[in-house]
Amino acid sequence: MNPYLAGFGLGLVLLTAFVVMGRGLGASGAFTSAVATTVQAVAPAHAQGNAFYAEYLGDGTRSPLKDWLVFEVLGVFLGGLISGAFAHRLRLTVEKGPHVSTAARLTLAFIGGALMGAAAKIALGCTSGQALTGGALLNLGSWVFMICVFGGAYALAWFVRRQWL
Amino acid sequence: MNAPFYAFGLFSEEISLVVAFAIGLGFGFFLERAGFGNARKLAAQFYFRDLAVLKVMFTAIVTAMTGLYVLSRAGFVDLSLVHLTPTLLLPQIVGGLLLGVGFVIGGYCPGTSVVSAATGRIDGAVYLAGIVAGLFGFGELHPFIEKWLKVTPMGQITLPAWSGVPYGVIVFAVVLMALGAFAAAEWAENKFGGTAPGPGSLLGSPRLLNPARSLALGFIAVGAFAAIGGNPYREGRVTIGTHQLAQLAGTPAARVAPVALGDWIVTGRADYTLIDLRSAADFAAHRIPGAVSVPLASLTARVAPRTEKVLLYAKDDTQAAQAWILMKAFGFKSVYTLAGGLDAWNADVLFPAQPADEGASAKTEFAKRVAVARHFGGSPRGVATAGKEELPALLPPPPPPAAGSPGAPGAPPAKKKREGC
Repeated sequence: MNPYLAGFGLGLVLLTAFVVMGRGLGASGAFTSAVATTVQAVAPAHAQGNAFYAEYLGDGTRSPLKDWLVFEVLGVFLGGLISGAFAHRLRLTVEKGPHVSTAARLTLAFIGGALMGAAAKIALGCTSGQALTGGALLNLGSWVFMICVFGGAYALAWFVRRQWL
Repeated sequence: MNAPFYAFGLFSEEISLVVAFAIGLGFGFFLERAGFGNARKLAAQFYFRDLAVLKVMFTAIVTAMTGLYVLSRAGFVDLSLVHLTPTLLLPQIVGGLLLGVGFVIGGYCPGTSVVSAATGRIDGAVYLAGIVAGLFGFGELHPFIEKWLKVTPMGQITLPAWSGVPYGVIVFAVVLMALGAFAAAEWAENKFGGTAPGPGSLLGSPRLLNPARSLALGFIAVGAFAAIGGNPYREGRVTIGTHQLAQLAGTPAARVAPVALGDWIVTGRADYTLIDLRSAADFAAHRIPGAVSVPLASLTARVAPRTEKVLLYAKDDTQAAQAWILMKAFGFKSVYTLAGGLDAWNADVLFPAQPADEGASAKTEFAKRVAVARHFGGSPRGVATAGKEELPALLPPPPPPAAGSPGAPGAPPAKKKREGC
């Protein structure tokens, strides 16, 4: 799809979220709810003693999975699946450059994901919650964040070029 | 019409979860359409080969930004009710750099990795597992870095508020900047990626108007309108018909009895904001626990979210009733005044008088009131003497609740607040 039209569609979805809900899009928060729920199930005392988990667990009167972002991310999964099916892009495969082994690519994917998970919590959001949402709201912190994301990625790109090119 | 619909209570939380799923569907659909289920396409952004990430992201930002500007300026959306994540400068700089590093190493961001896993990409699924591991690691480290995570707070602040440049001018500047970046991206793709701008692009189209150029023209038009269109926030500007004002003035303010407020505070109810309208000096000398000081003359629409329950009090009823009309005109939904003001609070809650009635139920009720009075540092008085008796001297005021300490006596516990990503 023409990137400008895909961006326009994405922008209309974001605008709908603002108008209907008074909030933007997100992604990493849903996984935090899942992690907090798991820690609570395995070690309840440990979860309650940790301010970070406790914030996501709430007062215990309701499941932390009954959450806006959790339902939104379920929709993202299905929406991606539908679009991929229409475009005949559903394939069990690993996306990587020709000069890197699958094992190395998957290791780097895991490391990248771990860095992203922690970074999203430090910065109060990821590319959806901060860059897209805060960008459209002219949020000062989101624009600083966005510049830093591109800065960090471009600064390191040369060192991991073998993975992609 | 009043939007955001959810903030105005037009549907329940259960329905909001259905809305969440529907919005997610659209989000995931367009991410996949853009080709963002593929890490190679995303990573190509950082080698100037394929700058779709920049194009999609900034087209989306500009679309939502200009759309929101028009809808707010037209009075359809109350922009102050759209959640704005507070700015924490240093954590956001460090988090942003780290997130960029994670992006180029892993090839995804959280949203795109969900789409990637949904379309069968194993690296996307592994990336998701990495996110979960990273969140767990962060959770375990949280107690040690908790203090640092809150440094350099700047509150909820927008670029216009921070820079002093009018909102609409910044909207126009972002539009022009994005279009300039798109043109530069198409040039870079040609130079580094070897792909000349195609028929769907801004630069290479043989036709005068293609979708990309039509969008660009639309953005420029709205941006130019915004540059001269003024502030989209409603704050500080109340438009109210004289008839409506007369109606408001004629309506008795909704009142809460001091005894009821005492019970709310004792039982820790936190679903309201208590506002003391008297001068700061009066507030410092004596106040109801948990109240915030907002002298009547400095009352603005930003004192609390407009959907919040607000309880106003002054020395007696007069000032509170005036503030009530003002708050209703600001568009607050549930505004109450404390019946009888602080005078009634002192007489009924701090120093309750023993009822002349000796019935058992009256006695139980009085015992309860005495317990509440002692909770607030007051004491009971003898049999009521129809207000002729002087109230005992007031105790020194309780220490002001420290900012952000939910344990302060009577202060409403800090509300759970988590939004965004």
